[in-house]
Amino acid sequence: MTAARSFVKDNALGLAFGGMFLVTLVGQAISGAADYNAQQVTNGLEPVSILDYVTSSSFGVDVMENWQSEYLQFFLYIFATVWLVQRGSAESKEPGDEGMESDEEQRVGEHARADSPAWVRAGGWRTTVFSRSLGLVMGGIFLLTWAASSVAGWAAYNSEQLAEKQDTVSWAGYLGEADFWNRSFQNWQSEMLAVGSMAVLSVYLRQRGSPESKPVGVSHAETGETG
Amino acid sequence: MRGVRRLYVAYLTVILLGVAYVTVLGLMGR
Repeated sequence: MTAARSFVKDNALGLAFGGMFLVTLVGQAISGAADYNAQQVTNGLEPVSILDYVTSSSFGVDVMENWQSEYLQFFLYIFATVWLVQRGSAESKEPGDEGMESDEEQRVGEHARADSPAWVRAGGWRTTVFSRSLGLVMGGIFLLTWAASSVAGWAAYNSEQLAEKQDTVSWAGYLGEADFWNRSFQNWQSEMLAVGSMAVLSVYLRQRGSPESKPVGVSHAETGETG
Repeated sequence: MRGVRRLYVAYLTVILLGVAYVTVLGLMGR
């Protein structure tokens, strides 16, 4: 197999979702511009070009409010599944395994191996940080994207206020506006439902061959075995 | 693993560029 072909095969999941992200983002830009222009016409304003639309905070906040909720979802799920279990779920550890687990199970400290990541072998603060790096990075991206959505949402809100000849608000003022919290909560609620569904539905339902599911023939009572 | 690392860096780059781009749009009041 050539190097290029093996790269594609080895990274099919990351590449496929990266590609679908770009395609759907273009879809959002096209449909968002059409929707925005329909609103402009209703308000007796000039329609804008797609380039104007994708460089507007209106597009920016629509993108970022969805990003932030996805990273909140993963951040919460990563941390919650350390401490909370769901009996029978493919997404859960066995009841009784709640918590950080032993150094032996986690292959840290004296149980680190020659091929363990460098920060695991280093010990001290580096191992402490690396042991939480997935949750920390997801949580950090959530905070960044939520902050970005607040800045773009503020600008978009103010341009609507101006179009309606209403007073504009400061960024801090926008954080107290219903618009900001409505955008946040409407995305958060769907993530919580989706994550809860995944945890609970995977107790009784199967997807043959998916690591997100238990093997088809495994008992409903069995927790955490993926296949 | 070198190709995988490139994909990892690409994902983080896209996320951070997206955040920076939207923040700038907002700060410019566009």
